Amino acid sequence: MKKFWATLFGAGFALALTLGLASQPVQASGTLKVGMEAGYAPFNWTQTTSANGAVKIQGSSDYANGYDVQMAKKIAKALGKKVVVVKTSWDGLPPALQSGKIDAIIAGMSPTPDRRKTVDFTSTYYASKLTVVVRRDSKYAKATSIKDFKGAKITAQLSTFHYEAISQLKGVIKEEAMNNFPAMRVALESGAIDGYVSEVPEGITAQNANPNLTYLKFSKANGFKTSPEDVDLAIGLRKGDPDKAKINAALAKISTAERNKMMNTAVAVQPATESEGNWLISLLKQYGPMLLRGTGMTLLISLIGTIVGFIIGLLVGVIRTMPKPSTRGKRGLQWFVNWLLSVYIEVFRGTPMIVQAAVLYYGVALAFGINMNKTLAALLIVSINTGAYISEIIRGGIISVDEGQFEAAHALGFTHLQTMLKVVLPQAVRNSLPAVTNEFIVNIKDTSVLSVISVSELFFAAETVAGQNFQFFHTYLVVSAIYLILTFSISRLFRLIEKHVDGPKNYNVMTNQMQVETPTIK
Amino acid sequence: MTEAIIEVQNLKKVFGDHEVLSDINFAVNPGEVVSIIGRSGSGKSTLLRNINLLEQPTAGDILFHGASILESSFDLAQYRAHVGMVFQSFNLFNNLTVLQNVMTPQQTVLHRDAAEAKAHALELLAQVGMDPYVNAKPAQLSGGQKQRVAIARAVAMDPEVLLFDEPTSALDPEMVDDVLNAMKQLATTGLTMIVVTHEMAFARDVSDRVVFMDQGVIAEIGTPEQIFDHPAEARTQEFLKRYLNRA
Repeated sequence: MKKFWATLFGAGFALALTLGLASQPVQASGTLKVGMEAGYAPFNWTQTTSANGAVKIQGSSDYANGYDVQMAKKIAKALGKKVVVVKTSWDGLPPALQSGKIDAIIAGMSPTPDRRKTVDFTSTYYASKLTVVVRRDSKYAKATSIKDFKGAKITAQLSTFHYEAISQLKGVIKEEAMNNFPAMRVALESGAIDGYVSEVPEGITAQNANPNLTYLKFSKANGFKTSPEDVDLAIGLRKGDPDKAKINAALAKISTAERNKMMNTAVAVQPATESEGNWLISLLKQYGPMLLRGTGMTLLISLIGTIVGFIIGLLVGVIRTMPKPSTRGKRGLQWFVNWLLSVYIEVFRGTPMIVQAAVLYYGVALAFGINMNKTLAALLIVSINTGAYISEIIRGGIISVDEGQFEAAHALGFTHLQTMLKVVLPQAVRNSLPAVTNEFIVNIKDTSVLSVISVSELFFAAETVAGQNFQFFHTYLVVSAIYLILTFSISRLFRLIEKHVDGPKNYNVMTNQMQVETPTIK
Repeated sequence: MTEAIIEVQNLKKVFGDHEVLSDINFAVNPGEVVSIIGRSGSGKSTLLRNINLLEQPTAGDILFHGASILESSFDLAQYRAHVGMVFQSFNLFNNLTVLQNVMTPQQTVLHRDAAEAKAHALELLAQVGMDPYVNAKPAQLSGGQKQRVAIARAVAMDPEVLLFDEPTSALDPEMVDDVLNAMKQLATTGLTMIVVTHEMAFARDVSDRVVFMDQGVIAEIGTPEQIFDHPAEARTQEFLKRYLNRA
């Protein structure tokens, strides 16, 4: 899925680039804005308190910590600046850097040749090593060389260099690659595999999380042969950043021993999964507030987005169903306005919201140096996008109102506007309500693509939680339940609204006319 | 004779290459009740719809108090407020209750305040026997009830002329009388009425004049006695023979 998003994002970014290049908003300031996922322990993670020297995440009440955060503090100190952590999704890191939303990427990123095209990397700030994670009681637990794995069933994570490195292990049975680490840990414990290739920090984490597992240390001669661009992690900077030399000098002062110590501390203080008791209760206890905030953000964006989109849709729908004016000049104007509106509808219906979000948020920053608030950008995109869909829904609703309703209103002397406001729109809106409910529900789910601009909605929060506790299944199960509760409540709520609009099924024939309430005419 | 309230001059209406009305000429005097009869497809409804411009005439003119309603400076909304219409398919506003259906047009077009509009509406709904249903929505009413509300809605605008487009054609037989009674009552108030109808008894008993249309032209105009008892045209005779034999 990450790959799919990355592709989409790439398309959006390319579009943004063509909109206008250059003009990098580089501001000299007293802060070092560092981008990271804050969900890739032990390098970086999100926690709810400031314990162990954590740094507050910009625009959030959560804190970030981990090896990357501690390293960022050291670098910032050397530059005489203050660290600001900007939580950014993995795919959003390079564009955020280029558009000036962040000053540096410290996120466990390797300086691959592809990345070097757009990002300038410092020297290594952590050199990782490949290892093999095995069961503590297996015969491979005593291996000291990569030659000691004859007959072992070994796997690694899909589309990583780890999996390619399996071929360096002599005589092993190369199993199918697996999707994530929790799955491999389960497979290893159950005996389906004898080991998996991983990096040392992950090995330490696995060993701490599960005492039945251990990771192997190889001497340099007996270990894996790896290329630095795979295992070395570097800090990403904008091309031509003047601080690069200073940062490299600061990195040079941090010895390998100190780096290992920092990593061990990070591994030790990373949020552990509370394994005791009911998994659901402990998950909610530990991450409940984070998920709740994500739910709130999702609800806020989709609610406001749907309401504003509805208003846009109503206006566009009314304009597009106006009768042909009599004079030629007005007809020309109407043609032009309708053309503009259909361009709007086709463009926003015809491109993915994730691309629109990327273009608006990163593209505008890159092209014009306008740094938009990301929540505002999210609201804007969802509203405009929803408006494009709802204007067609409303147009359909207006067309479906019986011609006789228009005729009766016109025959009574109503103007077109009066006919619309008092007679046609109330019916068109009523008829459109089920489709608008659909839009709302789609919005609840589709706001998840906004994680590309790092809006901390529910899905982004879920990714953060799962990245920390490695309980992917459990976390996403809980998040699915939250989505389902939201969407189900909304569909029930809209049924109630529909009933309310329809009015009571029964009327009291005996009502005395003097008691009749004066109807309020809206 | 007083000046005509509505005068149709050389009216022609073409849909595509089908000429529905050709060279229609007739005038309606204030207080007159004129029935338009004829076969289906003879152009009766189209003529009526041209009179309040739900259809745009292809050629010819229509005068209201001597002024052409086709002039661009003519105040169409005010004209339509003065010339009401009752439809075959009722066309009550589905989103509004019975009372709102009668009140809203008064408030919207005539700018009456709510209390005045409501008093007027209740009075007229009582006249057509629909006052117990003020809170009902159109979907909850029978056809005859809807049409009586539609008549109250049109009358509430205090029009000078009321156009009826086959007001009883979509009704079950037992409901026709309720609606016809309401119309007869209106005819006695001195309101000018143009009624397209298949109800020959109504045309004969209530109208001052009867227009017989055939194939897009006015075949014969006259008093009910002239048309029903001594029709001059052969086609009028044939039409009436069929109708009266059936009844």
